[in-house]
Amino acid sequence: MTPGQKRLGVPRRVRVQAGAGGQPVRVDDREVDCVRESWLIEDRWWTETPLRRRYWEVVTVCGRNEVVFHDLRTGRWWRQR
Amino acid sequence: MQSPSLVICVTAPRLAFTVAAGRRREELIGVPAALAPEPGKQVIGEVSAAAETFGIVAGMRLGEALARCPELTLVPPDPVGVGERWEGMLVGLESIGAAVEPGPPGTACFDARGLLRLHGGGSGTGAWQRDALRGPLGAVLAAARRAVGAPVKFGVAPTRFGAVAAASLSRVRRPLVVTGGQAECRRFLAPLGVDLLRSRHELAALPDTFARLGIATLGELAALETGAVSDRFGSLGILAQRLARGLDLPLRPRTPGELVRETLELPEAVDGLQLERVLGVLVDRLLARRERRGRSLRAVILSACLVEGGGTWNQQVTFREALADPARMRLALTPRLGLLPAPATSLTLAVERFGPAGGDQRALLDDPAEVRAGRLGEAVRQVRTVAGPEGALRILAVDPDSRLPERRSVLTPFEG
Repeated sequence: MTPGQKRLGVPRRVRVQAGAGGQPVRVDDREVDCVRESWLIEDRWWTETPLRRRYWEVVTVCGRNEVVFHDLRTGRWWRQR
Repeated sequence: MQSPSLVICVTAPRLAFTVAAGRRREELIGVPAALAPEPGKQVIGEVSAAAETFGIVAGMRLGEALARCPELTLVPPDPVGVGERWEGMLVGLESIGAAVEPGPPGTACFDARGLLRLHGGGSGTGAWQRDALRGPLGAVLAAARRAVGAPVKFGVAPTRFGAVAAASLSRVRRPLVVTGGQAECRRFLAPLGVDLLRSRHELAALPDTFARLGIATLGELAALETGAVSDRFGSLGILAQRLARGLDLPLRPRTPGELVRETLELPEAVDGLQLERVLGVLVDRLLARRERRGRSLRAVILSACLVEGGGTWNQQVTFREALADPARMRLALTPRLGLLPAPATSLTLAVERFGPAGGDQRALLDDPAEVRAGRLGEAVRQVRTVAGPEGALRILAVDPDSRLPERRSVLTPFEG
């Protein structure tokens, strides 16, 4: 990154209530209607700051399509978009 | 040898307040009243004499004004009415042959040298110095008073700043005349407070600093060493000191303009989409006016009368380039309608300044890529001028196939 540049799509903190198997049940106080997809990303495992994320693409009851992930190293939840 | 300038400053006291008060002027004479803040602002406008006794002044925050006088009556501002009234006064002055340099509404200056023989009959040399108001100068002032047709104050001095200072000290029927050259003007200004520098908007912030440093009068400012003033205050300090020493730049009179405008009275107050259609009609009508004579428009004034005594509203719009294309004019003007604080009962579009005839001649067929790139570059330059270096950015794909979305692209300054 050079000065004046700014990353796009940077994850933001989100409140997620997880159910059985770590599946999101509520995202920002909105109930999850269905889970469309889930995938695991493991990257940079050869460095001192490896990445382990469990992504969930969900649809809430109000119709919003959300992509959130669970940082498996820190235990925090983030919204990707 | 050319005689020293003889600048006459005309000020109309409380013009904005008087116009906005309109028919309620009589009932507001004895009560504390002030112009309500304009949309989006928090400071009051001109105030009545009764309000001044409470320590309320124009430019004060509304909350502070109401704290000082809870009974303060707020009058909706009428910028359109003030503009029309002031334009009428300026045209009146131009009708007696004056080349007028307009300041903010309520203040204008002109050089009287060329008018002394026209209105006074004699050469004017020296006569006005002995008994200014009985000579040709008095005749010029009388002609100007008749032409303006309203109670105004006159100040006469060799420079613009001196004349404005003289006008601020004069009374409606007692013009103040400072005769002589630079030395006399400097002597006249010496005992006056540095607050007078606020009459020049670029110097508005300096009097407070001067006061903190113990410089109370223009004479004290003039006596300072120029190098020291330059070191401490830069070019603005130099300008302030030149004014205090009785020097000023020559007047820059306006070119008498022609009033070209279109108004549409609406049967009922409207806003939103209906108002956009009204604006479209006004644009078409304005472009069809014969007085335009094929010229493009560089700047226009969009104004409206607001519903139920809400006063008036106006916005000056300067186009990025001179236009004669109705579609592009609508594109530039329509967003301004969103700033209207209330539905409008009438909408007016007036030409502020014409551009060259024909304007920017475009290609009949598609523009070549380099022309489009040039226009885009110019647009980016203008956006950066207004919004800073980060005003125009572009998305750069750095790793589009990354599994981590935040690594795929970055925002970077637009170059080109």
